[in-house]
Amino acid sequence: MPMDREDLPSGLMQAPRDRRNRMVLALGEATGHAHVITGERVSMLCPPDDPGQLFLLIEGYGRLGHEEHGPIALGPGAYRVIRQREYFPGAIRPVAD
Amino acid sequence: MTTETVQTPDTTLAARADEWLDTGLTCVPADRAAAEAGVRRAYADAGLTPPEQILWFGSPAAAAVAIAMLRTGETGGAEQSGVRDLLFAQSAFPGQTVLGGSVRPKVRTGPWARARAELVAQLGGVGFARHWAASSRRPWQQLVEQIVTPLRTRLDAQFAADSGPLGAASREAMLDPIFGQHDAAWLGAFDEGTAELAGLAAVARSAGWWWAFEHLAIITERPREVHRDNLGRLHHGDGAALSYPDGFGLHAWRGMPIPAEVADELGSLTVERIRAEDNAEIRRVMLEHFGFDRYLRDSGAARTQSDECGVLWRVELPGDEPLVMVEVINSTAEPDGTFRTYFLRVPPTIRTARAGVAWTFDLTEAEYSPLQQT
Repeated sequence: MPMDREDLPSGLMQAPRDRRNRMVLALGEATGHAHVITGERVSMLCPPDDPGQLFLLIEGYGRLGHEEHGPIALGPGAYRVIRQREYFPGAIRPVAD
Repeated sequence: MTTETVQTPDTTLAARADEWLDTGLTCVPADRAAAEAGVRRAYADAGLTPPEQILWFGSPAAAAVAIAMLRTGETGGAEQSGVRDLLFAQSAFPGQTVLGGSVRPKVRTGPWARARAELVAQLGGVGFARHWAASSRRPWQQLVEQIVTPLRTRLDAQFAADSGPLGAASREAMLDPIFGQHDAAWLGAFDEGTAELAGLAAVARSAGWWWAFEHLAIITERPREVHRDNLGRLHHGDGAALSYPDGFGLHAWRGMPIPAEVADELGSLTVERIRAEDNAEIRRVMLEHFGFDRYLRDSGAARTQSDECGVLWRVELPGDEPLVMVEVINSTAEPDGTFRTYFLRVPPTIRTARAGVAWTFDLTEAEYSPLQQT
């Protein structure tokens, strides 16, 4: 979801990478399939108190890849990462990838 | 203050997280000698005399009952005969064997708190947050939130249903387990060289939950099987999602613990059976297992609206809020070039497919203008 750069929260830190130094947006625990960001001058950021909330700052170009479907190009700009969710009375649960 | 030089690289921390997560999920039988050595080391590092006896049980459920027997002197009935026999076989006798007080604060809580305080002092607040996120966030979510918490909830409910002294004492025992392999959730945050945590780490690598008392330690086997869904939640439609070698099992559907009788019924559900179920939570599990789309089709759901985002369906459920679902076509092609149709449940207040899809992304209808989806 694109957003204005000025609206990025202040105090964001670099979100941690995985063991292969990849920027992983979401990981299927059972399949190991991952949504991974690659590209030039791309940062994956998160607030220090909520590492689950991710933002992307793309100054060059970005690519979002996943094992199950083709890559998606992301142009320069700031993005908020949102995961699809599903309604369940009494609870709201993320969609199983 | 934070300095970049002391921050461990992400790849190292992520590798540590993965390795500990594997430890936390492993189902191989306990390495009893290594676990017992770890227990003794943890006591020694806490400045305590090693336990006089170390007892083994097949599951946390059995261990809690055993502790309750030793605490109360009660020997239980036919249902508890397995635990009672195991106690006797290990020369521990209700009414005679003395547990002493719990030494969990000294063995686990204290060392962990000190190690954490040291790391915070070394890395600073934000540095520690980043370190924790890289090393422990996933293992914590996968092990504590998805396995330990449902297991504790289930055991508490099971013991609460027993109104006798053993039920109450078993519930009390559930207040101070040490999580053994599930402590892998946080051990990855600390360097292998953190001497004070070595005993805890050794048990975590070798066995399941354990309990530390002044005179006695009680250790349990690891699960024999763990089944999880794609988000890591306990989930199995064909048997227990989490099962232990002594036969204790926890049935769960997408993270929600369910009674074994309900689990058995899931394979043969009908629209009528689901409609007749008066427990709303169970009915939701049944609906999900049956398939929302199949239920919509078989129960004569009303197609209430459609737009460029999809189709909105609605079924009234007696005594419950209506089932409202948006049917959407994934806008990204599958590898074979086809487009997958899927259904997402949305709140019953949703009036249009577009508003429904927007809701699934936590956006308003006006905000939702997708460029691409994954």
